[in-house]
Amino acid sequence: MTRLSSTVTSRRQFLALTAAGSAFALAGCATAQPVASTGPALSGAYSGPPVTLEYWNGFTGGDGPAMRQLVADFNASQDLVTVKMNVVQWAQYYQRVIAAVHAGKGPDVGAMHVEQLATQAARQTISPLDDVVTELGLSASEYPAQVWDAGTYDGRRYGIPLDVHSLGSYANTALLEQAGITDRASTGEELQRNLSALVAAGVETPFWVPNRWPAHLIFLSLLWQFGGEPYAPDGGSATFDSDAGVQALTWMTQNIDQGFSPPNVAPDSQYTAFKNGEGAVTWDGIWQINDLQATAPDLRWSLAPIPTVGTEPAVWANSHQLVLFRSRTPDDNRLLASKAFLRYLTDNSAAWAAAGMIPARSEARETPEFRASPQAAVADAIPSMRFLPTVAAVGEVQAQTLETAVADSVLGRAEPAAALSAAAERATALMQGNLQKFER
Amino acid sequence: MSTVAAPRTPPTPRTAQSPEPARRGTSSRRVVLYVLLVVLTLVFISPLIYMLTTSFKTTAGAAASTPQWIPDDPTLQAYESILGTSGTPVVRWLVNSLLAATLQTLVILVTASMAGYALARVEFRGKKIVFGVIIATLFIPPVILLIPNYLIVGRLGWLDTLAAVVLPGAAGAFGVFFLRQFFLGLPKELEEAAFIDGATRWRTFRQIILPLSRPALVTLAMLSFLTNWNDFLWPVYVLFSPENQTLPAGLSTLQNANAVRYDLLMAGAVIASAPVLLLYVAAQRYIVEGVGRAGLKG
Amino acid sequence: MSSTGTGLRAAAAAGGKPGTVAGKDVAARPRDTASTQGRDTRDGWLFLLPYLVLFTVFVIVPAVFGLWISLHDYDYTLPEKPFVGLDNYTGLLTGDSPFAAPFWSGMQATAIFTLASVPLLLVLPLAVALAMNLRFRGRNFFRAMYFAPYVLGVAVVAVLWRYLLDTNIGLVNSYLDAVGLSGAIPWLTQLPWAWVSLVGVTLWWTLGFNTVIYLAALQDISPELYEAARMDGATAVQRFRNVTLPGLRPVLLFITSVTIIASVNMFGQSYLMTQGGPGQDTRTAIYQIAETGLTSFNSGVASAMSLIFTVFLAAVSVAVFYVFRDRDAR
Repeated sequence: MTRLSSTVTSRRQFLALTAAGSAFALAGCATAQPVASTGPALSGAYSGPPVTLEYWNGFTGGDGPAMRQLVADFNASQDLVTVKMNVVQWAQYYQRVIAAVHAGKGPDVGAMHVEQLATQAARQTISPLDDVVTELGLSASEYPAQVWDAGTYDGRRYGIPLDVHSLGSYANTALLEQAGITDRASTGEELQRNLSALVAAGVETPFWVPNRWPAHLIFLSLLWQFGGEPYAPDGGSATFDSDAGVQALTWMTQNIDQGFSPPNVAPDSQYTAFKNGEGAVTWDGIWQINDLQATAPDLRWSLAPIPTVGTEPAVWANSHQLVLFRSRTPDDNRLLASKAFLRYLTDNSAAWAAAGMIPARSEARETPEFRASPQAAVADAIPSMRFLPTVAAVGEVQAQTLETAVADSVLGRAEPAAALSAAAERATALMQGNLQKFER
Repeated sequence: MSTVAAPRTPPTPRTAQSPEPARRGTSSRRVVLYVLLVVLTLVFISPLIYMLTTSFKTTAGAAASTPQWIPDDPTLQAYESILGTSGTPVVRWLVNSLLAATLQTLVILVTASMAGYALARVEFRGKKIVFGVIIATLFIPPVILLIPNYLIVGRLGWLDTLAAVVLPGAAGAFGVFFLRQFFLGLPKELEEAAFIDGATRWRTFRQIILPLSRPALVTLAMLSFLTNWNDFLWPVYVLFSPENQTLPAGLSTLQNANAVRYDLLMAGAVIASAPVLLLYVAAQRYIVEGVGRAGLKG
Repeated sequence: MSSTGTGLRAAAAAGGKPGTVAGKDVAARPRDTASTQGRDTRDGWLFLLPYLVLFTVFVIVPAVFGLWISLHDYDYTLPEKPFVGLDNYTGLLTGDSPFAAPFWSGMQATAIFTLASVPLLLVLPLAVALAMNLRFRGRNFFRAMYFAPYVLGVAVVAVLWRYLLDTNIGLVNSYLDAVGLSGAIPWLTQLPWAWVSLVGVTLWWTLGFNTVIYLAALQDISPELYEAARMDGATAVQRFRNVTLPGLRPVLLFITSVTIIASVNMFGQSYLMTQGGPGQDTRTAIYQIAETGLTSFNSGVASAMSLIFTVFLAAVSVAVFYVFRDRDAR
């Protein structure tokens, strides 16, 4: 090949140039960026030509059927708009939705976790909704303040709250009775006492501590309980390695040291163990309600707010928020139809309680149906619910730093303080990079 | 295969005759051999059987801490659930996977055989340089093309389409190189006779070269099909709609959605494997021998 | 897209000195007249055309484009993609970039997996192939059985083994328990077990592939050679060393290359079975590159990572090639 190249240098150079040229052409012909638009104001019902809307969300679990029902009801309620719902696992949803919108194949309407709004806004996939909120007649007074405020980024509103969901403490009531426990624990000491009683009653490992999902949610809840904050509100640094963080993580590992939890809990087996009676208490999201009812119909369980282990009540919470996606070629009719659909979803959000969620709209939490649901017990903790700050790409940063530190410590591979400070240092570096990147 | 030796002649069909037959009469050795082979077979087959039986268990049965080989109360619940959920269209994934692997294999066979023929048999200006460039890219690991190809496929508007899992993967130089080496080993006389009879290049290629190259084409087809069938990383990132997934990507979706529902996961795995296993049983000889030949040729 | 990924570079390594073959061929055939030459040139390019279109769009352009991206802070979802020169590379190489630590831990994971899996994937299939090469009843049946997992694909294999290796409800631990060993091994959540599992499952999955290639090569060795060796009174071990191994040498280069390439590209097993855990210890370099470039959209850094990765891979390829070439000379 050396022999060949000397004779045909010019041709080779020509080829290389051609290739480079086409690469630059590809890079240069910047595709149209998605345009933020919410279309003309919607007055009354949608009256344009028939349209089919794409609605993407990640309701794969027990919440899926409830959303499917809402969509079917909307489609049946009028003739002009047909909503097609596409479910993608949350784990892949955000990356895919960004790819889809930028590829010009994005959906019209979506649901998202509140901490993703900042990222998605910065990546130009969703539109500001300040006008839409006014058009639809929604206002802060109808929602819990933290839930409403969490839907804004950079001074603009990007999400309309659909629900609130938080961690809760599930307990196997049969095992509690067996151990002679009558009250659910509301403090760390009470929990310890209950766990000891359960061990004495023959439940060897009553409280399985996961190292993967939802371990970081437990950690964040405890961090807030001990008075800490995971990130600076301006998004410039990570602060989860504070004393509060170390206390929170240490408390988690102590449950293993004391034998309440087996070591090395495989992903999701804390939940499996709870279902088959090997564990008696587990902290998990309220989205598991429907799954428990469906897959463990014989299990007797109760749901309560997580106890206050630290100094003040606090629990990690999140909110599904409805968004409008940007498009390279915004279409007024689609936008009007989308807004009609948004209005329907917010007006009927009481039905969303069937998903095991807590409706965000205050009036929807007052219905007798909701008060009778298992999650009503957790809804009382709304004032102590905490959300991640709206910082662009904070979810990505957290997945690479905080979540690994928690996993490493729970697995006994690192000391909490050391793991957290190393992770926080990296998180700060990433966040600094992101600040620069998203602000230019 | 060897670096300097001229390529072999087309492989003759291998007989079952073995070059070093076991000595007759050493029956005790033979027993040991059989025991080892059977144990090994169990290692390979029993997980598949367990997968099959678990797919007929209830959710609780699949999560029982004492494993049951035969479900207590066999149920089709997992299959009903998986086939009834619109978010996990396993059958659709199967069709997508078969389609993607078949189309890619066809594209590779057509483009690589034509290109390989040109490089092996036609003298044309620029051949050396083109061949040099193509060969050079054999040394580029695919990961280097991952990010740019994702962006290119995005620019082409092919994300979430069949084209994305068919065409970029068909551009690899292996097939061209493999077939070129094979064509070089074919006798020239037949072709030259055809030229004298006035046949065009295209006719010679179609009617003389390709029929002679069946073993090499089968080998390339098997390798291409299996590679595409097994490809995981690329489809996970370029396909997003549930109905457009290939099986590997879809199964990962299924696992994300049902991390602890092993009955569902095993049912999905059974649906995913049954057709290929049947296909494999039917075409086992071609597949296994095709792959075996890959090491000898080239 | 990485279709033919494994075969591809292996063949390249195996092909060795393509120029030699090409040169020989070209030299042997001087063409006659100008008109045939013109027609040949037209025909040649026409035959090449379909492939060249694919090749240009999905190999040449991305190769150059990737290089260009790596010099930018390239995030395609953002309007600005500023030029940063070699910053992506220096950040990774000096460790200043926040992406450096995960990248190098990915490189380490890839190295661990490759070193642990390649020897096993070379030796065990050979042992199986040698046993299969004996003449006995049902040989094709056994061969088919061992190859079967390969056609299932990585997703089925990983999903299945994640279940079998579950610490609490898995079949493996339950049998270990039954025979009196520790039945609580954290196969997928603790080191070194996660590596043992990943290597073991990979072995289970691809053993048949290498076995089949070995077997074809063994059957290609002339029986006369064995006969002659036997006449000379060579023992089985001597026959193996002096007849079998030399006969396998060309195929060994192929298998070694294919196996190394498959191992350094390991992704699906860890993505599905350990999710890169515990921590991020089983996140391979490829995993890290895909996450950085395709999930976090840091295409510039990810491209720089893949180029650094390529340099390492090139070094390994040269080493492997050198090992085999050395023996040729002897």
